[in-house]
Amino acid sequence: MEGLLFWFCGGFLLLGGLMMVLQRSAVVSAVWLVFAFICAAGIFAVLGGVFLAVMQVLVYAGAIMVLFLFVIMMLQGPVLEGERKLMPVGMWPLIAVPPVAVLLLITGYLRSDATVAFAAAPPAGFGTVEAVAGLLLGRYLLAFELISIVLLVALVGALALGRGERNQPWK
Amino acid sequence: MEITLTHYLVLAGLVFITGMVGFVVRRNALVMMMCIELMLCAVNIVFAAFARLHGDGGGHVFVLMNFAVAASEAAIGLAILVEIYRRRRTVNVDDLKTLME
Repeated sequence: MEGLLFWFCGGFLLLGGLMMVLQRSAVVSAVWLVFAFICAAGIFAVLGGVFLAVMQVLVYAGAIMVLFLFVIMMLQGPVLEGERKLMPVGMWPLIAVPPVAVLLLITGYLRSDATVAFAAAPPAGFGTVEAVAGLLLGRYLLAFELISIVLLVALVGALALGRGERNQPWK
Repeated sequence: MEITLTHYLVLAGLVFITGMVGFVVRRNALVMMMCIELMLCAVNIVFAAFARLHGDGGGHVFVLMNFAVAASEAAIGLAILVEIYRRRRTVNVDDLKTLME
């Protein structure tokens, strides 16, 4: 069962990522990325992170991608801007890098005898809201507080950037 | 066939490479940012896989941290892109080379 879900979600995650890169229109790319993120939520669920899967759908596929789609629609209007020209010729050899990397990954996988198997079952309560909350407000309290400062700075920065030139306080 | 840690690592590597290639070949700054999100997602899968391997929830906590970082990055990056679009009427990175030339 776990294997079936892994191949299903993993395959569609890769498909979603590839289609996002290959589509010319930014809106279609964004929708494929939402698809890929939902498949990634499936991967998290297979790995026992139920809370993570929920947050992946809520935060990534929900909030962040809606923000992206909103900006795409706002900037490009009804006419979708595609890619106008190809990469410069000098960059073309670089295309060989990803297939080589993929090949290295696959051969490394096939040659390694020490494939690390997971424990038969995760400890009780693994990945539940309760367990993650206990860690967030216990062992990782400092990181939790610091990330809230990061979010606050991002909020203020986005507001300052979005205000427009005329209204900037230093003008 | 049993699903091992290696399966997840290879999957995350492939997703990361997809995002990396997209970042290099696409010229639309919005799509480039989406490729960054895809790379972050690959990192999250590695975190979750190792959390499962060790039976320790610390990996899950750091995936949540990554969500916050991704959200901040999207907010700031998109605000910068909107500002660039206001001034230059484009988000195509080939047209935004003033500093390079």
